Amino acid sequence: MEEYQKENISRDNFEQCIKCTVCTVYCPVLAVNPDYPGPKQAGPDGERYRLKNPAFYDMALKYCLNCKRCEVACPSNVKIGDIIQRARLTYDKKPVKLRDRILAETDVMGSLVTPFAPIANFALGLKPVKAVMDATIGVDKHRTFPKYTGKKFVSWFRKDAPDQSAYPEKVAYFHGCYVNYNYPQLGKDFVTIMNAIGYGVELLEKEKCCGVAKIANRLVDRARHDAKINLDSIRHAVLDKKMPLLGTSSTCMFTMRDEYPHLLGLDNADVRPDMMLATVFIYRLVEEGKIKLAFRPDFKMRVAYHTACHMAKLGWNVYSTGLLKMIPGLDFVMLESQCCGIAGTYGFKKENYPTSQAIGNDLFKQIESLNLDVVATDCETCKWQIEMSTSVPVMNPVSIIAQALDVEKTKQLNQH
Amino acid sequence: MKYDTIIIGGGLSGLVAGVALAEKKQKVAIVSLGQSALHFSSGSFGLLGNIDGKPVDNPIEAVAALPAAHPYRRLGVDTVMNLCSKVVPFFAEAGITLKGDCAQNSVRVTPMGKCKSCWLTLDEFATAGELKKYKKAVIVSISSFLDFYPDFLAAGLKSIGLEASVVQVTTPEIDRLRRSTAEMRATSIGRQLRGNAIVELADAIKKVSAGADVVLMPAVAGFDSEEPVKELRSLVGTPLFSIATTPMSMAGTRMQMQLRRRFEALGGTYMLGDNVVAGKIGGNGTVEYVDTANLTEDHLYAESFILASGGFFGHGIVAEPHRIYEPVFGFEVATDGDRDKWFDRNFFAKQPYMSFGLDTDESFRPLKDGKAVNNLYAVGAVLGGYDALKEESGAGVAILTALHVADLIAKK
Amino acid sequence: MGPNNSNKAAKAYDVIIIGAGATGAGTARDCSMRGLKTLLVERLDFTAGATGRNHGLLHSGARYAVTDGESATECIKENMILRRIARHCVEETGGLFVTLPEDDLEYQKLFVDSCRAAGIQADVIDPKEAIAIEPAVNHKIIGAVKVPDGAVDPFRLTTANVIDAQRHGADVLTYHEMVDFLRDGKTVTGVKLRDARTGEEKTFESRLVINAGGIWGHAIAAKAGITINMFPAKGALLIFGHRVNNIVINRCRKPADADILVPGDTISLIGTTSSRVPYDSVDNMEVTQEEVDVLLREGIKIAPSLAYTRILRAYAGVRPLIASDNDPSGRSISRGIVCLDHAKRDGVEGFITISGGKLMTYRLMAEWATDMACKKLGVDAKCRTAELPLPGSEPEAPKNTAKHHIIELSTEQLALEGRHGTLAEEIPHDINDDALVCECENVSVGEIKYAIDKLHVNNLVNLRRRTRLGMGTCQGSICACRASAIMARAFGQAAAISDLESFVNERWKGMMPVAWGQTLVEANFSAWIYEGVCGLGNNSTDKIISDK
Repeated sequence: MEEYQKENISRDNFEQCIKCTVCTVYCPVLAVNPDYPGPKQAGPDGERYRLKNPAFYDMALKYCLNCKRCEVACPSNVKIGDIIQRARLTYDKKPVKLRDRILAETDVMGSLVTPFAPIANFALGLKPVKAVMDATIGVDKHRTFPKYTGKKFVSWFRKDAPDQSAYPEKVAYFHGCYVNYNYPQLGKDFVTIMNAIGYGVELLEKEKCCGVAKIANRLVDRARHDAKINLDSIRHAVLDKKMPLLGTSSTCMFTMRDEYPHLLGLDNADVRPDMMLATVFIYRLVEEGKIKLAFRPDFKMRVAYHTACHMAKLGWNVYSTGLLKMIPGLDFVMLESQCCGIAGTYGFKKENYPTSQAIGNDLFKQIESLNLDVVATDCETCKWQIEMSTSVPVMNPVSIIAQALDVEKTKQLNQH
Repeated sequence: MKYDTIIIGGGLSGLVAGVALAEKKQKVAIVSLGQSALHFSSGSFGLLGNIDGKPVDNPIEAVAALPAAHPYRRLGVDTVMNLCSKVVPFFAEAGITLKGDCAQNSVRVTPMGKCKSCWLTLDEFATAGELKKYKKAVIVSISSFLDFYPDFLAAGLKSIGLEASVVQVTTPEIDRLRRSTAEMRATSIGRQLRGNAIVELADAIKKVSAGADVVLMPAVAGFDSEEPVKELRSLVGTPLFSIATTPMSMAGTRMQMQLRRRFEALGGTYMLGDNVVAGKIGGNGTVEYVDTANLTEDHLYAESFILASGGFFGHGIVAEPHRIYEPVFGFEVATDGDRDKWFDRNFFAKQPYMSFGLDTDESFRPLKDGKAVNNLYAVGAVLGGYDALKEESGAGVAILTALHVADLIAKK
Repeated sequence: MGPNNSNKAAKAYDVIIIGAGATGAGTARDCSMRGLKTLLVERLDFTAGATGRNHGLLHSGARYAVTDGESATECIKENMILRRIARHCVEETGGLFVTLPEDDLEYQKLFVDSCRAAGIQADVIDPKEAIAIEPAVNHKIIGAVKVPDGAVDPFRLTTANVIDAQRHGADVLTYHEMVDFLRDGKTVTGVKLRDARTGEEKTFESRLVINAGGIWGHAIAAKAGITINMFPAKGALLIFGHRVNNIVINRCRKPADADILVPGDTISLIGTTSSRVPYDSVDNMEVTQEEVDVLLREGIKIAPSLAYTRILRAYAGVRPLIASDNDPSGRSISRGIVCLDHAKRDGVEGFITISGGKLMTYRLMAEWATDMACKKLGVDAKCRTAELPLPGSEPEAPKNTAKHHIIELSTEQLALEGRHGTLAEEIPHDINDDALVCECENVSVGEIKYAIDKLHVNNLVNLRRRTRLGMGTCQGSICACRASAIMARAFGQAAAISDLESFVNERWKGMMPVAWGQTLVEANFSAWIYEGVCGLGNNSTDKIISDK
């Protein structure tokens, strides 16, 4: 018996596609924008033509918001989203717009703006400023910009955080741009929980933006440059210092785990298993009986969990929701898994704004109908979108756990 | 991670088993490699429509004529009948309205105007029997929607005595969709049919259906629930039925979503887009855990496991050039010889490969080296010994074996 | 069924050509361009024989250089001509002849010398360079030569010849089988045809009949009492799901099994095997498991990724090998073009056979046959088929070039232009006609209507040959029903449904020898749609015209 053809292998499994067409049902863009060719045509179908001649690249692929819901839906394991994003990175030779560059440079923007946060927040909130940005660089005027914080998470951590050196076991924390520049409270919540369960927190030697926005805006070289710096630091933390790398953003973790090898060609196999969301790490410790969580008896909250697209792709919502369900006072509702429409910087672009809002519409309605205290999600851009489009506040599961946790009691339970 | 039961595969059989167990308060997880074949549903379920090319009138009576290894024979006539009686209410709980009788097959009308036997049919669709009551039909097709074949349908209806005319309609909402050259699919249209778009379509249909006593249209309505179909029916006034389309199937897609919603509402965990890559069978012949592609660092433990991973389409069984096997546990699938023997030259003849699948004991537990695995059950298309297509028995086997295995597990 | 030109009974032609493969179509073009009143007759469809079942290789001639210098020279000349006149049928991919470690590198020197002697540019390059320009090639190669091979689409090429013949006044009849010659003593005076769709028999008179029937030419000649000893050689090929390579890869050794990998349109194909088969099997070629094994085993050596690339289908064609004399044993086979004047050879006046040769030399064969016809008919006209571009390959009008720069064309618009060249402008184009029927190969409603109206389409197999419908990954799962609904408007529903069933069977025939992995999943999916959802295949008794 010959050994050939035992399996079919092709880049991103594009050829495993049997044209069953299921992906098209679950594409959030296709549902609202008929100018997008859809995941099947843009992905495996288009790929056959692009292999023949790059001239077959269709500019309409730019409408893909890289949510990967097509991949999650595919019964043949075709990496449809990767095919489309790779095609964009490979064949779209148009110069990247100024607006896209600005949106993509989340960390540079953050560093520049932080010292002037009140002014920036004020200005970005002003109608005339929004109108100018809308007209000049194409950032939609309806968008509410995430507020910049006056004090970066990193500054707080270095100066004001409780001493982390006393803990015998440590974890490394990838805070991401959002925690650092916009919402340090999430980082603080993370530190609180980790300390309560007996773990100290360290930051990476050097942390750059994970690169999700740069990849989405085709700034591949910049993304790869940052990714290499991140991977070096992660290797140092994971391999040399034997710490797991934890994050609180599903998108950052997804990007570093999967987009680095798939789209940037950077092998991370040696550290990938040790890169995870904090909720994954905590859930496992609880399940293995290594830690115990004590919750405040007076905590009451009705929470609906929204599965962010990249969370659906990672398949990790079982961990985040598993933890939330452990909180006795938490009334848990699972929202139907669907895209909120923001997709990072995608929804900020003027041309995408209507699409973005239309995609999320069903979700927003569902949220409004459920009489919720809070929506929980592991993704910060989903938070912006849902908070802008509904009346319900959005929290990361980590922040909810921090609120519900009886910190002192938990500390006592977990003294090693 | 620990569950009472872990189900591999989230299509019709996996979801039915999952819902049945979750209804019995079990903690259940379904791991599904992508979406299922339910998305191509005709809107009807077959129980047993054909044996060796001969049409079956009463499926229950016909079970005895099946070969001994057939899943229905494993269940036994009494169990088949008993389970059948539970199916309509079971689906109704998920918001799926079915009609039909397991002791008397009915006939569905296909998109090409052919007639095929079936057991249960979604309320939205008309059986040939129902259509015979009418005299003059109008078939409403939708501009640029290519997965519906009104002319073939009209010709087919003539053979059951129904005169049908064909008209085409469009609406502003549909015109917007038509900008896409490839994506005018049943599900794309269905997604838009809500609120005012339903009213627009109903108006367009009313305009062209004067004089007809029944309106037939492609099954494109009802993305989330059956509500849009009901709304359209009430707005049109004239009796209105859907006719199946070629993929995508709006009705099948909806059933998938409804069953999943029901499963999750009962507290079930549905892991979509993950793939069970391996299963550990311990020395005592008991499955200890399974591993998935996403949850790389965790084993998934359970008391019982169900293989509802489908046939070739679902990759429940996989063909190499010279071998067919089940990929999670590595069960070999018997093939009656080399590849020459797997196929018939005539595409429409009985294809041996269609009956390939797992061999099990009386309790649907797959055999490893001739011995049943203690706590593993196989349901639906992964099973061998029957030809879903030729027998028109695919949905029946999927649903009944799933319900039966759920009973077995719950009784343990 | 069909918009074929009918009611031509009793019309007298200068020449009737039997067989509409590339050679017959090319001969019709040449004859009509030289002012001969021409009828082209085909018992099935254009390209239904060997023309549609080969590599689609635009030979540089290098493959023949060592063994057959004459053929090699013809090839390279025709290669250069086709690049000019058939731009939209040709892909200028270039070709490599690579030496594997198990092959004799000495052969490369002989090969290069022979190429140069035949006028074929052959540049020895560093194997590393070869790997750089074509990463799919086996990285263990020890030698590489660059030659001007390419890919040619035989369907488009033949269709373009037919269109041009019609433009020059030729009549065309497909699905008309020649059942007998009209004779006046020993002189052929025309043909009696049977319409395969109606069974009706018609006679057509002509001053000359040209037999361009390929392997079937044997039986055609026999009807005039003439024996041409032909020996059918079966060649099997495999089609892969996508382009594995972008440059033709040949193995630099004496021609043998599976030593050419050709990128053609959206796929790559490896071939061929070569085996003598009995004459009575030529109408039903099936690829065996053994042939699939040989093709893979050898193909993997030149492109290792073939070991795991999905195979869409397998098919086989029949090359007509002709004994150069009346030798019935077939020991002395003519390798080149055979143009027989049966008046001289057999004493039968008014009858010519053109055969042998290869797809690459179809135009030259047509030229020879037409030269002979003109001479016999006393017509003095020069062949211009090498100078004038085929329809679709005319130089583009400047406005089209401008269009490319202004509007970003979608994949499907580009695919359409790729298939039809400048004729793409004739294809209807609006919100109804732009809807895609075949999504894998981007075939629109408009393109199908155009093919039915203008390109002698009688059934779905014809349509596939004109448009690539159903040639993609899904092999018709999604598109065949849709296309059938459009066909039904032209041909009636009963005929369209049984045609659909035979089309599905025709696709299955090619998939069956390679039905494992996702190709078996695809077949399973197709079965659900056609038999399960649509209920086809159960009780069809309708008559249908189809190719076997």
